[in-house]
Amino acid sequence: MITGCGVVTAAGNDLSSFWGALLSGTCFIGPLKHFSAPGIEPILGAEVELDARDGLPAEVDTDARRSRAGQLALAASRRALSDAALRHSAEELERTGLALGTTLGEERQVGDLSERWAGSGPSSVDPGFYLRSDNHHLASLVAAQCGLGGSVQLCAAACSSGNASMASAYDLISSGAADTMIAGGVDTLTRSIYCGFQRMGALSKGICRPFDRRRDGVSFGEGAGMVVLEELEQATRRGARIYAEVAGYGMSNDAHHVTAPDPSGDGFARAMTQALSSTGLSPASIDYVSAHGTGTQYNDAAEIRAMKTVFGECAKQVPMSSIKSMIGHTNGAASAIEAVACALALTRQAVPPTANLTEPDPDCDWDCVPGKGREARVERCLNLAAGFGGFNVCVVLTRFA
Amino acid sequence: MTPLPGGRPPIVISGVGVITALGDDLDALREALCSGRRAVVASADGAGEARIPDFDSARYATIRGMRMYNRTTRLGICATKLALVDAAMEADSCPSEELGVVTASTSGHLGTLIEYDRSLVAVGLQRTNPAWMPLAIPSAPGAMIALSFGAKAFSMTLSQGAASSLDALGLGMRLIESRRARACVVVGAFSPCPELSLAASRAGMFAPAGEFRVFDRRSRGTAFGEAAAAVVLERLDDCQHRGKTPMAVLRGYGSAFATRPSELSAALARAGRAALRMATLGSADIRLVSSGANGLPERDRSEARALVALLGDAAAQPPVVAAKASLGECVDASGLLQMLVALFALRSGAVPPIPALDEPDVPGLRYARPHMTVDDGHALATATSSTGACSALVLSARHAA
Repeated sequence: MITGCGVVTAAGNDLSSFWGALLSGTCFIGPLKHFSAPGIEPILGAEVELDARDGLPAEVDTDARRSRAGQLALAASRRALSDAALRHSAEELERTGLALGTTLGEERQVGDLSERWAGSGPSSVDPGFYLRSDNHHLASLVAAQCGLGGSVQLCAAACSSGNASMASAYDLISSGAADTMIAGGVDTLTRSIYCGFQRMGALSKGICRPFDRRRDGVSFGEGAGMVVLEELEQATRRGARIYAEVAGYGMSNDAHHVTAPDPSGDGFARAMTQALSSTGLSPASIDYVSAHGTGTQYNDAAEIRAMKTVFGECAKQVPMSSIKSMIGHTNGAASAIEAVACALALTRQAVPPTANLTEPDPDCDWDCVPGKGREARVERCLNLAAGFGGFNVCVVLTRFA
Repeated sequence: MTPLPGGRPPIVISGVGVITALGDDLDALREALCSGRRAVVASADGAGEARIPDFDSARYATIRGMRMYNRTTRLGICATKLALVDAAMEADSCPSEELGVVTASTSGHLGTLIEYDRSLVAVGLQRTNPAWMPLAIPSAPGAMIALSFGAKAFSMTLSQGAASSLDALGLGMRLIESRRARACVVVGAFSPCPELSLAASRAGMFAPAGEFRVFDRRSRGTAFGEAAAAVVLERLDDCQHRGKTPMAVLRGYGSAFATRPSELSAALARAGRAALRMATLGSADIRLVSSGANGLPERDRSEARALVALLGDAAAQPPVVAAKASLGECVDASGLLQMLVALFALRSGAVPPIPALDEPDVPGLRYARPHMTVDDGHALATATSSTGACSALVLSARHAA
């Protein structure tokens, strides 16, 4: 069961403002204030503004303080724990773990090193780089600050990392290895990914327009999304508010290309089918699909084909949207933030929109909730994620009655 | 098929692949370790390290595009190839949709990321090679391994430093048990880039040349070791159905987190107890311990104290081996190597001694000495990371034949 949610996104860092901004279809993609990349103008994206309550405690060391990804992950985790009103004893914390996903983790230490290297060569390598370059330090920072003594994992599954972490946490609880897990993902705006997409021609020249005929690529964002997962019995015993049930998941690997998805959408369709069969649900019973919807020609086309394969004619009746159109593609955090959006859709009975969608792709002739969100009956959601290398993870979330 | 206690299906190892500085097959590694050979030699800067001499990936596998991949990824691909061949895992015995990959990789992408980011600074965006960026993210080594062998079930990467590959084995067990795939390659590879070695050296982590010792009162630091290891996991009935004799059964896995360095010992003991509980075994059932001690005095002390707490009375204790004393700290490959050392010891009865251990720092353990032997039975492998992750795995050779 999901009993707590936390986000830090360009659309807001508390659930009410985040959800309100999503439903209104506000696009937060614009000129970036705190991030630059050499040779790219204008530089657009969606940045997070942390507030005072998200500051790091005084005891956190200097290296950790320099980690933007660590700050975002910790802020979202704390918000999720606070939302879950978890008051675990020391013994219960030993059975509480963390599954944190990321595409790149904290890259700025590599950027700093490159800048210093240009002037100083090997003498620019400092002792702290050894620990900073280890992405597990992000999970370690969160777990140490939250006092977690269970399994603490760093899942690297490119842009499927958020869902992959949720799946791993779900399995750990289902198998009895943990009672409570915090799961989700984090990523910051990173020079290497931003520039890499630009060189591959996959970065939007303006703002991303998922499923639009004129879509021209990704707009990046930064952020983190975390959820608290626990078994029903424990959640009920402590009187927790239940947002949603993680009913099951599916995963697949395209094994097709380093960056491009399999254009047939076969791999993505296998993950969707496996997710649905793991829960015994039919495609027709799904009320909302949170699309991967990056706004690139290749991804959206493959996703559309996969949806048609799995949903057939039902596709036209199922609302599907991409909130990346508003908060940008937050890489490893994306599907975790989208899972929070699904949990809110289930509890607040509404679906978020796809912003910037004004001329739908003729191949995508179904309900992409263009412009603004709307009230809807939402009992079951399918949250889709795909990543570089072709790894796809789909999670089914259902309303808890 | 006889299920394990608790009704769990036995998950077995049906193939192994190793590439180390002491050989590239299990028999060669066994002979080298049992004769007390050490791979760690003095490096250019005076510290110890173990490098694989004359590694040529073309000797092991012919994979399109492999020359683009960094050394860690190529090592991982080659170890995977060896494991698949050893398991006689042909396409007709396991369809690609039923083959998954779990990769232990914390720093496998780092050299490529540094090189790519440095090129952005040095030559500018338009002259960078766009093919590098997708190879510069943490999931890249695993994604390339999955792509190389057409593994379409899943491609997950865990980044927990020296605990990564035991965690990857634990994840692989869960995924096979829950039928996410018919077979799963678990692979870990480590080949440090110069910047990582330099940072570790400046952090004072390396023992001076000739003074690398593990578990010893005079231990002054660790030494990096280059290596790759891979195993093929499948259900016992699937393995037997295709006429393959399994090599070992993975019976239990546990993990825990130390919120501060002083808790490392307690957290590792917790992980060990969880692994024994899952295996429905007691500490008295363990015939051999394959520890993750690496020469860093505090880490070794924590590991030793955890084992003392787990194993109790010295008289009945199993021998404790430490493969890193010979191979160096192989980080992402180390847990797999430790597990394989335990496997060959259980199968052959020969216990590899801990070289250069003269004065144990922590008494109360039966440290492996020359000519020790072990009865067939169950072994425990343990690992800790510099970021507080602790893992343990129980395997058995007795029930494999």
